[in-house]
Amino acid sequence: MVDQVSFDVAEGELFGFLGPNGAGKTTTIRMLTTLTSVSSGRAIVAGHDVSKDPGIVRTVIGVVPQQLIADDELLGIENVLLFAKLHHVPDEKARKRAAELMKLVDLEASAGKKVKTYSGGMKRRLQLAMGLVHDPRLLFLDEPSLGLDIQTRSKMWEYVRKLNDEHGITVFMTTHYLEEADDLCDRVAIVDSGVIKVSGSPKELKMKLGGDLLSIQVSDGPDLTHFFEGVPDVTEVLKLNRSSYRIKIPRVEKALPEIVDGVVQRGLKISDISFTRPTLDQVFLQMTGRQIRDGESEPATSIPVLMEEA
Amino acid sequence: MMSDTLALSGRSLKKWIRSPFSVIPIVIQAIVWLLLFGNSFNPGNASGASGGSLGVLQQAFGGATNYITYLTPGIIGMLALTGMSFLGVEFVMDRINGYIDMLKTSPIPRSSIYFGGVLQNIVKAMVAAVITFLVALVVPNGLRLATGFGILNLLGVFLAIVMLTTVFSTLFTGISIAAKTTDSFFAIVNFLFFPAAFTSTALFPLSFFPSWLKPIAQANPISLASDAARILIVHGTLSASQISYFAVDIVGLFAYIVVFIVLGTLLARNALKAE
Repeated sequence: MVDQVSFDVAEGELFGFLGPNGAGKTTTIRMLTTLTSVSSGRAIVAGHDVSKDPGIVRTVIGVVPQQLIADDELLGIENVLLFAKLHHVPDEKARKRAAELMKLVDLEASAGKKVKTYSGGMKRRLQLAMGLVHDPRLLFLDEPSLGLDIQTRSKMWEYVRKLNDEHGITVFMTTHYLEEADDLCDRVAIVDSGVIKVSGSPKELKMKLGGDLLSIQVSDGPDLTHFFEGVPDVTEVLKLNRSSYRIKIPRVEKALPEIVDGVVQRGLKISDISFTRPTLDQVFLQMTGRQIRDGESEPATSIPVLMEEA
Repeated sequence: MMSDTLALSGRSLKKWIRSPFSVIPIVIQAIVWLLLFGNSFNPGNASGASGGSLGVLQQAFGGATNYITYLTPGIIGMLALTGMSFLGVEFVMDRINGYIDMLKTSPIPRSSIYFGGVLQNIVKAMVAAVITFLVALVVPNGLRLATGFGILNLLGVFLAIVMLTTVFSTLFTGISIAAKTTDSFFAIVNFLFFPAAFTSTALFPLSFFPSWLKPIAQANPISLASDAARILIVHGTLSASQISYFAVDIVGLFAYIVVFIVLGTLLARNALKAE
């Protein structure tokens, strides 16, 4: 299932493990959380080998699974306190910590309600609290925003960022929402068919695609290809038709004044101008030759629209 | 490990108590068996059964003055077995929906998952046993305790039933941890239920069995527990031979528990190890 997957996550990092369903994300996270044995190679979590010292690894990790597992018949807070108990957190500390966490995930008001009254988003937030109640050094989040609507999803991102920024927890998360990873993660690895295709910061990976893409349409006039090519940093110019050009450039804002000035000085008018920033989806497409959501019934979120705006 | 076991069984019991499907089905089952089956099957109902022939029947039924007195310990034993099929589902569901995995990433010993299950199943089965016992006392022509039935008798009955529920719980908790689907679990439980019930002395006494079945019926844990409880119910004060009969039953149940704990632990360990 997973083959030669090699990566490091630094302490304090928010690391994203990206790939389509069936890419090997879950297998990897199961290995790191001691659920699946590592057949060859080594996995070291917080300084401990998961095969040799699974018991120690379990004391330092927090796990938030993909499935909704909180007990419906129990109160929200009871679910959190149970996991505090299983991690041998002393009672008083557990109560304090549970209350803090319920506040963090905005479930203060519902802490005393049965989980069966919770919405899907609330259950996910509750699980975040369940996975954090023993103060883990390292948190594993398996598809934290799966099945959430857009508002709830961005709320979830906010909690994860807060945990990482303010509480210094190292986070290892899997996701197939690439814009989520782009927004949140310090570093990502893209995995497909059990192999890591590429890893690095989202910024680095996007830069590798050659930066921004500027589309410009001008009134009829002389050919501007040569001029555009002469603008500093421009890496590629493509003339689409008599008056439309596509220009590849690392940072569009740096070159834009010169481009606009040049066009105007030549007595031409700009009839349309737009640019797109590369996204992790494009990185993914480049690395794997397909869209991350290929073969999924879930409708792709508005990526084509995002590419057109700005 | 003890605190983890208690925490896990506490979780299940809390869920169970809050569910409307915990106690009510037990009461209904007890009523169905005792009121409908128990009252109809009463040998005393048969026309012409009076005087001498009734005495013979009573003797065959271990001296019980009516059928429900004979039946009650047996029904408690059988219901403990049926109960396991409901209780075991919880484990299978926990496995399917990922709860067991979540437990496995926590630092609790794997065995506490098994013993937590064993303990909560015993508690639930004992609640069912007490309810059945009480229902038996209030139904018409119901359970009659012998004169001289005292606190020691009650404790003895309790001991026999606790041990029987432990026998079932140690086995079925292991099976339910190992079962991959609810279907496979139900298949196993159903496969075991009728043979276990019908080769026991839960419904009729040993003298009714054909000779080839007698050794099996005698060794059946439901027989051991219901015979032990029955002696204490039917005879208030026990003779020395009755006490040794009771002791043999208890030792037999203990042997089952030892074997099933070993088996259940192995099943659980195998099912809970890293894949």
